[in-house]
Parts: sequence; structure tokens; C-alpha cells
Amino acid sequence: MLVQADRAPAEPILAVRGITKRFPGVLALDHVDLAVEAGDVHAILGQNGAGKTTLMNILFGLVQPDEGALSLRGQRVHFRSPHDAIAQGIGMVHQTRRLVAAHTVLENIVLGHPRVRGLLNLRSARVEVEQLCRRYGFTVDLGARVWQLSEGERQWVEILKALYGGATILILDEPTSVLTPPEVRTLLAGLQALVRDQGVTVLLVTHKLPIVMAASHRVTVLRAGRVVARLRTAEATEELLVQHMIGRDVAFSTMERSAEVGRPLLQVEDLSAFNDRGLLALRGISFSLREGEVLGVAGVTGNGQEELVQVLAGLRPATSGTVRVDGRDVTHLPPLQRWRMGIGYIPAERFEVASIAAFSLVENTTLNYHFDPAYTPRGLLDELGLAQLTRRILSIFNVQAPHHQTRAQHLSGGNLQKLILGRVLLRRPRLLIAHLPTQGLDVEATAFVRAKLLDARAEGAAVVLISEDLDEILSLADWVAPIYEGRFVAVLPRRQADAEIVGAMMAGLPQREAGTG
Amino acid sequence: MRVGRYSLALDPRPAVSPIYAVLTAVVAILLALALSSFLFLSADANLFGAYRTVFAYAFFTPRGILATLQRAIYLLFCTYAFLVPLRAGLWNIGLPGQVFAGALAAFAVPSLLRAQETAALPLAAAVIVLLMVVAAAAAGGLLGGLAGLLRARLQVNEILVTMMLNSILFWLVSYMIKEGGPFMGATAEGEGFTLPSPLTAPLFRGVPYTAALALGAAILLDLLFAKTALGYRIRAFGENPAAARYGGISPVALPLLVFLLGGAFAGLAGYHAFTAIPGVYKIPGNYGFYGDLSFYGLISALIARGSALGAVPIAVLFAGLSLGARFAQGALRLPFGVDYALLGLLMMTFVASHVFYQFRITWRRVPAEALQPVSTETGGR
Repeated sequence: MLVQADRAPAEPILAVRGITKRFPGVLALDHVDLAVEAGDVHAILGQNGAGKTTLMNILFGLVQPDEGALSLRGQRVHFRSPHDAIAQGIGMVHQTRRLVAAHTVLENIVLGHPRVRGLLNLRSARVEVEQLCRRYGFTVDLGARVWQLSEGERQWVEILKALYGGATILILDEPTSVLTPPEVRTLLAGLQALVRDQGVTVLLVTHKLPIVMAASHRVTVLRAGRVVARLRTAEATEELLVQHMIGRDVAFSTMERSAEVGRPLLQVEDLSAFNDRGLLALRGISFSLREGEVLGVAGVTGNGQEELVQVLAGLRPATSGTVRVDGRDVTHLPPLQRWRMGIGYIPAERFEVASIAAFSLVENTTLNYHFDPAYTPRGLLDELGLAQLTRRILSIFNVQAPHHQTRAQHLSGGNLQKLILGRVLLRRPRLLIAHLPTQGLDVEATAFVRAKLLDARAEGAAVVLISEDLDEILSLADWVAPIYEGRFVAVLPRRQADAEIVGAMMAGLPQREAGTG
Repeated sequence: MRVGRYSLALDPRPAVSPIYAVLTAVVAILLALALSSFLFLSADANLFGAYRTVFAYAFFTPRGILATLQRAIYLLFCTYAFLVPLRAGLWNIGLPGQVFAGALAAFAVPSLLRAQETAALPLAAAVIVLLMVVAAAAAGGLLGGLAGLLRARLQVNEILVTMMLNSILFWLVSYMIKEGGPFMGATAEGEGFTLPSPLTAPLFRGVPYTAALALGAAILLDLLFAKTALGYRIRAFGENPAAARYGGISPVALPLLVFLLGGAFAGLAGYHAFTAIPGVYKIPGNYGFYGDLSFYGLISALIARGSALGAVPIAVLFAGLSLGARFAQGALRLPFGVDYALLGLLMMTFVASHVFYQFRITWRRVPAEALQPVSTETGGR
């Protein structure tokens, strides 16, 4: 993609000076300066917990800085709430979608617009939004309900909503984290067009180097709440950015596969299940897995992975089929009994399902130990033992936390994930179900989590790994199962699974060569 | 907020020290009393005289102290009845119904044993009293458990169910004690029968033994939530049901359990109100008053932020102020309803004071450079 880096230096449209933000026990931002020039795509790069999201929340008025000042178009501004920021032409698209799923696209776009106070004139709003779509070259069905849209389309709805609200500066927080590769390409091309033709300024928050290299003009790198580099993208290389981001060189270690093939542990036969909307989302899946093996389920989110994981964990009833662990039929066992028999589960929703924000780290650890007689003698919590266990997890799994009594809500996503992983793995599960275990994690944490999954495998655990990241699947799995519309297209041994074949199967292309391999 | 060179901000507070919590509560009480001055002023009463009357009656006369204690015990049982499901994130609005169920079950024991007359007790009095307590707790628990079961199994909203059960039980009590009803009193004037004196709750220096039950329950409940695996499960379910389910906590058994337990406490409140307060010892015609009063248990559980022991002083205060204000209303000819107004003000100042548990106000000096325009080149535009 063409990147114009050699333009005359323009004045910053948005300038940040000396922004500092403290959270209990954490210095999230430490005197951060940032200057964004009009008409740029300005990338904010950093690992999890570097302070990117906090900085963007300050720019959007969601969080108040403790120190420092903002200025917009040369004027000092102070945002008490997102209302103030929107009034000044700043729009934000959050990492997680904030749309009303049951409403139409148009209703979502119009919702919260300053002009829509009491009366809703949807007809005139439709004309305006249609004009906006034509101008920016978007094609979205304004009458469709948001739940019917794909993740990429939903993101465009949020961008449209921000533009309809009059935004000329767009903040996108990790916009590519839930998109498929084609959707990412569409998004980046669309952003380029917005910047080139409409003079919109884009702040792109990400930890993905290829995105930065492909789409940005300038990049500011944050590490541990400080700005460590300000570069023109044209003058940067991926290696340089990684060094700034991490503070040193990282070697990507190659994963070894040396475990002996063990006894058969998991047998799944013809498993089907409904999704939350009552549609058959899992349609007759069968596979078996031995101890010390990793099955990598590769697919784009929404093809039945969530339902598969939940049925295996006992959180969703199977409509037909059986699940056997070590020969025992566990299809209808409740989650507690599955934990007790050594099935460990790492959910994708680390904030909503796998942790309790208001609970301390010790209490969050307890979530997987409250039924364990070793930690609850005579029904009483062994507070000392649980605190020791938590400290062990913090040190073994390299969790950055001020204290083991800190509340989980003060941990960044990556550190929280390491805590969850640690507390599940220290149970030494025989069967481990890991759903998107590295989603949203930075390079270092991703490598760490992958290594720990392989350690568990080396100790004889059978691992069901669900991921959207094909590289992750191919580097960890012994068996690769592309999933499409609730079915395994095939279950391939790793050596027969190359990226092209699996990618084609994930996209729903019929099985061409896999059967002959 | 910016004031001159300083900025004022509400910051999240990581932890609250007990001393600070008590101080905040005391300030809230003083503020409520100050606000209630307007009520007293409007009645041309001497302000300090009015306060003195309220407090002197409730906390410094033998008669008033006993009445305050009796009512505080009742409020405490109601508090626990709301507090236990609340810790699991569920709202038990069925306090009146469960109180009535407890009362009916307590009186059903002597009625079924034909022990309404002192002359011929079929069992030892202590055994019958024990049966009455157990029956009251069981009946309240079953009624609460019904709501919990409907919630857990069929996702029926527990607030709606418990509120409708309140009405059903209200009219059931009415049927039981009216003329010709099974629990009709000797005078047949819309009251239940009077308990024979051996079956009333034993008193120690005028204080019924239910006081010990109420205080013991407070200690046990706080220990349950702080120290036990079961308490942990209840709290986890209350904070995040999805996480609790992930962790193996049953989304059916847990709501059922907390409603059984909560209902049982409300049943005990019903037992206490009608068999342990001298001068009552029957289901009176104005039994509906106790149903209304039970909702102060809800308020005190919310104010105590889920701590059973923390609710004890609050229940005593509510009991004393409601009795004292009612007394002052008669003695000083204050406007009708001054007792409820006082409790209402107290509720509001307590709830408002909760801001200070979660946030602290901080002043910060704005750095000089932040007050300057950022870029000098753009200043002239």
C-alpha cells in the first residue's frame, strides 16, 4: 500500500502533552506526549498493558487524566465525557462492539446522535446516512439487524456511526483483532480512502506490526506507559518496531514435538448442539484424541467453535452424540464433575466468563479450586494455601501484578490470561480445552502461552486448541481440523496440513486434495 | 472539575478502612437528623426537645429500650432474609410473604396439637416451642425456595414471583384469623388466637431468646461469606454468574439454596414478631404493619453492604428511631408520619454516603505547563 511519508510537516491537529494517569497500584501513563497531524493514519503501537487503550480513552473523554493537557486544532480542550469529544469531532470505535444487536443498522447509527433527542425522524436520517455511505463508498444494508451482520460489517457500522456524528478524527482500538484476513484488507483500504479523499485523521491502536507497516504514516510506540519511539512508518522496519515495543530482541523459538503417542483419552462421536438462537450450530462432529496430542480446530469465529467448546466443558447441552473421556460417557455431566475428573477449560471470554473483575487475584484463582479438598478442608477456605498458590502462579506464569490481593479488574488482558492459564494448568488437567488462548495478547505473552500449552502436552495432557490464527494451529497441533458451519471439513495429521489447504477448508471450499493426501 | 490552579476529581477507592466506613455512617446519621429538623420546625415544636424526646424514649427508658430491641431483632431477621440472596445477586422482595408464612406455620403447631389451651399441653412446652421455630423457618424457607426454584429452573424473575406471593400470603393470613377461620381468636374480632403463656418465647430480663439467635446468625453469616467455600460460591455467583458457572457452581442449586436460607430467616422474623413480643403473642388484626416494616430489612442490608454484623447497629438505629419518632409524634403532636419521614431521610443520606466508599475526592495542582497553550505557532490563527 502506498504510504505518503514525505509531505511537508503539518501542524498537529491533535496534541497531547504530559498526560499521566494512575490507577491503584499502576502507573498507566507516564507523561505521554503525542502529536497527530491532520490527514495521517497514526498508529499507536505497544504490547498489552502498555497504556494504549487508556490513552485513547483519555482522548475520547472516557477517562480523565491526572496530569497533562490536550489541544485540538491549536485550542486547549478538556473533555469531561465522550459527549464533549464527539462535539469536537472525535469518534471512537472500541475493541468490543457497542451496538444494539436487535436494532437495525440505521437505528444504531442514529442512536445517541445529538440531534436525536426526543423525536426520531428515521426517514430523513436514512437519506442522510445513505448520502454518507455513497460519499465514503460503503455498502451496508441499513435495514438489516445488527446481529445478522458479520464482525467486519459491524465495525463499519460503528465507523459510519462515528462519521455520522461528525467525526473528523477517528480512533480505532485494535480494529483488526476480530476480523478475518479479507475483512482486514477491506478495512485498511477503506481507511486509506477516508484519509485520502475525505481528510479524516485516523488514530490506529494496535499491537500488530503488519497492520502498522501496511496502513500507517506515522507510528508512536508505547512501552509501560511511556512513549519510547516516534517514527515515520516509511523509515521504520518491523525489527526496529519490535525492539522498541519489547525493549530487546526476541527470538521466536521453534516448537518441538517429541511427545510419545499416549493412550486414547477423548472420543467425540456425532456431536451436535444448538446455539443461543436455537439454530443447529454444531452438526455432527466426530474425532478422537490421545494423551500428549494437540487437536487444532481452525476456523473463522462463528462456525460452531464456541458451541463445541461449551459442550465439551459441560456448559451447553448436546442435542445428540456422545463425549467420552477415558471411556466414560461424560456427555451429560455438569461442569463441576468435569473439573474434578481432570478436564480443564480456558474460555475465550477472559473478562466475562473466566474471571471476576471485583474479586482479588486469590479469589479468582479460587474459582478453579473451591471444590478441591486440598484447598477447602472441612468446607473452609484455606486462605493461606490459596494465597501461596496464587503467588506461585504469579511467579511461574510471569504475571505482572502489584500484589496477589489486587483486584482482577486492574490487570491487563495479557496478565489476566496468564493467571487464568496458570490456575488451570496447575490443576494438571488430563484434557485441556483452550479457546482462543492468545487472542489479543502481545508477542511475548503469546509465545509464553503457546510454550505453556506445549508443556502441558509434553506432560501427557490432551489439548483441544481452538484458534483463528492458522500459524498458531500449524505450529502447535498434531492434528488439524478446519471447522466450517458446524462441521469438521477434515481431520488432518499435521504433516498433511499446509496453510493453503487448511485455509481453503476454513473458508468453506470443498475438500479437494485432503482426502488423497 | 477545575477550580483555579487545582483540579478536583473523584478517584476510585481501592479499599475502605473500617474506621472510615463507621465515620461515614455517623456523618450520614447526623445529616439525616439535621434535615429532619425541618419536619419538627414546621410543627412549632422545640427542636432540641423533639430530638430529646425521640432518643430518650427509644434508648433511655426501660420500656423504650425493650421495644427497640424487639423491633431490632425483627428487622435483623428481615435483613438476613434479604442479605443472603443479595450476596448471590438475587433480590428477595418476598419478605412480607415469608414473614407471614413463618407466622402461620408457628401458630399451626399449637393449633394442630390442640395446645391452644394451657390446661392440656400434649408435649413439653419446650418441645412445642422448638417445633414452632423449626416450622416457621421451614415455611419461610419453602416459600422463598419456590421463588428460587422458579428462578433457577425456568428463569422466572424472582422479584415478580416474590411480590405476588406477598399478596397471596397476606390474604391467606387474613382468611386464617378472620371470624370462622382456623386460627380465629376467642373474641372473634379479626385476630388470631392468643398463645398460651408456656408457648411464648422465653424471656431473659424482658429480652426474648430470639435476640441470641439474631446475633449468632450475624456472626455465622459473616463467617460463612468470608471463610467458607459455600460463601465463596455464593459471592462468586453474585458477582458474575457466568464465571461461577464456568467454575462449576451450579446455577440451579445455588439460587435455590440462598432463597431457602433467606426465606428461613424471614420465617424466623415472623415467629419473633408474633410469639416473642410481650403484649402481642398472637397474629393481630394489623399484621400487615409487620409486612411493611420488613422492608426496612432490605434497606439495612443494602446500607450494611452485605455485612450481617454491620447491619446490627443499623437495625437497632432504625428500630429506635421509628419507635422514638412515633412516640414523639404523639407526645409533641408532630405531624402524622414523622417516623417514616425520618427513616426515609436516613435511607437517603446513607445511600448518598456510599459514593464515598467507592470514590475519594482528590485535589491536584495543575502543572504550570498544562495551563499554557500547547503550540505557540498555532496561537495566532
